[in-house]
Amino acid sequence: MSTMKTTRWRAMATIAIRMMMHDKLKMIGILVGVVFAVLLTNQNAGTFLGLLAKNTMILDNSGADLWILPPGTMQLQPGKTIPDATLMQARVTPGVAWADPILFGGATVSLPGGGSEQVSLIGTRGPLFHGGPWNVVAGSKEALSRPDTMIFEDSEREKLGGLNLGSVREVNGHKIVVGGFTWGLLPFGPSYAFASFDLARELLHTDADRINFVLVRLAPGADAHRVRDDLRARVPDAKVMTSGEFRSCLINFVLTRTPIGTTMGAAALFGLLVGFIIVALTMFSAVVDNIREFGTLKAIGATTFDLAKILLVQSVIYAAFGSLIGLTVVSQVASAIRSPKMGMVLPPWLFGVTSLLMVVLCIVASSLSLIRLRKLEPAMVFR
Amino acid sequence: MNVASNAVLAENVTKVFGKGNLAVPALRGVDFRVDRGEFVILAGPSGSGKTTLLSLLGCVLKPTSGTVKLFDEVISGKAESELPRLRAELIGFIFQGHNLFASLTALENVVVQLELRGCRRAEATREARDLLENVGLADKVEAKPGELSGGQRQRVAIARALAGAPPLLLADEPTSALDAQSGLMVTEVLRALAKERGHTVVVVTHDNRIFHLADRIVHIEDGLIRE
Repeated sequence: MSTMKTTRWRAMATIAIRMMMHDKLKMIGILVGVVFAVLLTNQNAGTFLGLLAKNTMILDNSGADLWILPPGTMQLQPGKTIPDATLMQARVTPGVAWADPILFGGATVSLPGGGSEQVSLIGTRGPLFHGGPWNVVAGSKEALSRPDTMIFEDSEREKLGGLNLGSVREVNGHKIVVGGFTWGLLPFGPSYAFASFDLARELLHTDADRINFVLVRLAPGADAHRVRDDLRARVPDAKVMTSGEFRSCLINFVLTRTPIGTTMGAAALFGLLVGFIIVALTMFSAVVDNIREFGTLKAIGATTFDLAKILLVQSVIYAAFGSLIGLTVVSQVASAIRSPKMGMVLPPWLFGVTSLLMVVLCIVASSLSLIRLRKLEPAMVFR
Repeated sequence: MNVASNAVLAENVTKVFGKGNLAVPALRGVDFRVDRGEFVILAGPSGSGKTTLLSLLGCVLKPTSGTVKLFDEVISGKAESELPRLRAELIGFIFQGHNLFASLTALENVVVQLELRGCRRAEATREARDLLENVGLADKVEAKPGELSGGQRQRVAIARALAGAPPLLLADEPTSALDAQSGLMVTEVLRALAKERGHTVVVVTHDNRIFHLADRIVHIEDGLIRE
């Protein structure tokens, strides 16, 4: 019985592939539909993930397992502070390998020709500088250990008045020297600039006993949730989250408090819809063109399920090749347009999800044809 | 297979298309019998009901009333889901327009039928080659229908119908698209192979050039048999 089933599957697969190859114009039409859907969904999903990455880049590069934040924090932005005693509490908590403070605030860079530009200033503590800078493309993060030295975003050099290593600028009324440049550290708002913890406190005029965040790294083998709960008990006036929880919080903020998610999601859905319509109509048209052959198949002993196998095989092939072409194109596009300001993030899982989605799209699109084939009477071959 | 004297038996069969005022009776109480191994021609003018009767025998249409038996098995009351199996096991079709799959080679057209009848690919390919050789197309196995003449295509269709040795062959106007010589040749090939292999054959035609090849000619007119 299983041999019989295999034989029938094989027969239907052969017909499916030959039918596709026989009408190359329709094959190309359907592939265009799939490629179009892949391009639009991935372009939007990739851009959306890129924007999310901008919002979570400090989190992704901090090396922290836990974050201690001011109460009510929903995203990384200059604002409320917490007492620096929190840092001491974190450091004495069992299971903590290290804990470092972060200062975070807006700063104004005065330009040589007059005017000013805003930066988001991050103050981190040496010598390890957990919390940044990262992606240093000129100079080094150790430069922050030098007095009155800061690191700026490379792509903002012109904007900040033609910065170079060693340039001197006034930041919040204080003269600093440029000690390095980072690449791609452009969040939604002003670019990130880095200073040592003490310099940042001076520039941001933060009280001596206040800090913005505490980064906590767990000791090997420590349980994140247990340490988090312990910390919550020790610092009840602050918010303690694991990195995963904080990431969810940041993403949730973008999804629910900004129109980005809706806009990108709608565009991706539109791409899927247009691709679906192209695939469904072209497949239907191909079935109508071959309706006599399908009728003949029914007359000589094929069941509706056998005909469904033809559509299924074609759907999977169209989805596989369409995804392959579409994903190759979108990867090339992503490489071509990659810049510090705009970066599409295309993780491997997105490619997997897209391919799966295209298989589903093609199968659902072929169901329109299947309805036609189900109603097909084999007696039509005698007409 | 049941050893029955009647390969085909239709008793008081009617078929009405449409309903109410639009109802058109195509068959009006037909009694029709074909013995095993017989080569019967069903003749009649256009619209006489011969193709409708062939469709009923081929299990692609159900009668409005009456009984149709193939090899003693009543097929007129069978559920729709059982009919594909019956068609695959019992019947080989030869269509007016040959109805070959344009994207498949001559060999693959025959192989598909064999695979639908449960043959494995290697075995099916071997049998398909033999059949195509028997119909004189040994050198055309890799040709697609578009590369064959009308007569050659119809011979591929005969090979396909014979594939897997179904006991009953039903042919609908197999010569209508062919010139006189090709039509006669194709029917001769069909008759010779059917007789050699013991197939029962019903050919619907109004081509009187092939009448002399039949064991028996049954006339149908206005939905009634006039033997």
